[in-house]
Amino acid sequence: MTVRGMLLVARLEFRTRLRTGRWRTLFGVWFLVVALFSLLLRGFVDTEDSDDDGVMMFGTLLFFVLLLMLLITPALTAQSINGDRERGTLAPLQLTRLTPLEIASGKLLAAWSTGLAVLALALPFIAWPILEGDVSPVRGIVCVAVTALLIGVVCAVSQALSALVVRGVTSGLLSYLTVFGLMFGTVIAFFLVFSFFTTTEHYKGADGYYRSEEPDTSYTWWILAPNPFVVLADAAPSVPREPVCPFYSDAPEPECYYDSDDGPDVLGWVGQSVRETRVGVRRPGESYEHYERRKETAPAVWPYGLGFNLLLAAGSLTITTRRLRVPVERLPKGVRVA
Amino acid sequence: MEEDEAGIHARGVTRSFGPVQALRGLDLTVPYGQVTALVGANGAGKTTLLLILATLLAPDAGEIRVAGYDLRTHPREARAELGWMPDTFGVYDQLTVAEYLQFFADAYGLNPREGGDRVLELLTRVHLVEMWHQPVHVLSRGQKQRLGLARALVHRPKVLLLDEPASGLDPRSRVELRDLVRSLAAEGAAVLISSHILSELEEIADRFVLVDQGATAGEYETSVLRAEARGLWRAHALEEEPLVEALNSREAPYRRQRTGGLDIGPLTEPEAAALLGELVAEGVRIFSYAPVGGALESVYLAMTEDRT
Repeated sequence: MTVRGMLLVARLEFRTRLRTGRWRTLFGVWFLVVALFSLLLRGFVDTEDSDDDGVMMFGTLLFFVLLLMLLITPALTAQSINGDRERGTLAPLQLTRLTPLEIASGKLLAAWSTGLAVLALALPFIAWPILEGDVSPVRGIVCVAVTALLIGVVCAVSQALSALVVRGVTSGLLSYLTVFGLMFGTVIAFFLVFSFFTTTEHYKGADGYYRSEEPDTSYTWWILAPNPFVVLADAAPSVPREPVCPFYSDAPEPECYYDSDDGPDVLGWVGQSVRETRVGVRRPGESYEHYERRKETAPAVWPYGLGFNLLLAAGSLTITTRRLRVPVERLPKGVRVA
Repeated sequence: MEEDEAGIHARGVTRSFGPVQALRGLDLTVPYGQVTALVGANGAGKTTLLLILATLLAPDAGEIRVAGYDLRTHPREARAELGWMPDTFGVYDQLTVAEYLQFFADAYGLNPREGGDRVLELLTRVHLVEMWHQPVHVLSRGQKQRLGLARALVHRPKVLLLDEPASGLDPRSRVELRDLVRSLAAEGAAVLISSHILSELEEIADRFVLVDQGATAGEYETSVLRAEARGLWRAHALEEEPLVEALNSREAPYRRQRTGGLDIGPLTEPEAAALLGELVAEGVRIFSYAPVGGALESVYLAMTEDRT
């Protein structure tokens, strides 16, 4: 595996794909859609505090961009391998000195770069609230970086599917199903199973203690972790919030808690909600304030989600590389070597 | 690695796809400096064999050495010495002719200067120099086929595998391809070529390997084949009756053709020559006497006959 080999393949991909010129139209339409959406957001968002307008616009726009990017990205690599095989251009490549990893990573690099170019077109609008000073640059950079990584993950996964499945149509469909699985499947699965995992909670009523079985999401929170929106929202550094403290003024600092209403910060709201699922139910004898504070300071979910997604990408690249190895021992049905 | 070893040396190659046994113990030798033709019916296993030799497909069993390298243990080394031109191959439509070759020169690890020289040299050789800046998709089929051959030659392979290179080519392109392949063999390459067009193979190949149902049915030198193969000879005489009488008196087998003329034989070349001499000596006024089809065709048809 050499960088030279990888870049050689990437350059070939660029030249063969970009010279068709179709991307210009696609890029133009994309830019217009993001511009229009941003202007509409700017026009309609009207919170009490004008600083909050920027925060809300930033979060909503990023979710919108991520959603559209996830819908565009599978198309970049959905026929990366089986398309070349069908056109008869893969086998001559496999017989050169290029290694399977160079071919796989070069193609992936080209597709990912294309995805990043599309993302770059949305940058002026993402930068808007940052330039206005409503959102910190760090938050902007982290959010864009996470989105960029997620685009790479989807590229890698759909490339692996194109290496596994014979027909381009099928691998394209499977890529979209995978993306939908990550986007909606995780949420649906979570809501289907979370009530099956319960913990006995003790309440103090007027006539003594009584117990009830409460769904305990501390068993099931990880189902939400791979969701790209969860990863993005939770990874975004939080907007500084004013602590709410008990009214007796001499209370120690830890007694303070944060208002759970995140207001205009869409990312923060999603991120915090998912973190709270890690906490689960109230412990026996735990004070309400302590429970609330435990929820407020719940550990992050995004490292698990991002880690899962990156592992998925690494596994996908491994599968693609293996599938490009020649000589082929076992031929799946319908696959032509050349 | 022996000095005098052949470009391709294959023994007992088998390969099955599920229940279908594509190759059942095929033997093949392709010497350097010669063109060896692979002949067989559709589905006889020619393309499977070429894919195995090109290191794209692994055989189930058998011993194969390409340019002296065992394909099981040293596929990469073998790959560096072999050029492969598949029956159907795609080209990147958006590239120009020169860019296409330059890419493969790079991919085979030639340094840029060397690669550039090689591209120009190959374009000259396959008569595509004036097309160098054209996008590949404007090339005719014959030109694409020549470009494909140039691609297979980029890294100066010692062993060449050509799968149906002449299919779909016009007569002029075929002649050019034939000359090109002959000149490559003359320079010392071991060339294996598969084709359906038997008469053409006869002009290009030094040796023939007949493949039938996944196994070697015979190996022949073209010169020996010509001398020994029994074919039909079509004779036209000014008056047909003396010819028929002369043949009847010798109990020589013949068949009258509706289009005129008699098909005599099967006879070998020496037999046919002797018969012609006798007929002419007897005063039969023969003005045309020629083999029907090629020697290879006769052998091929004889071989495939007992199949049906």
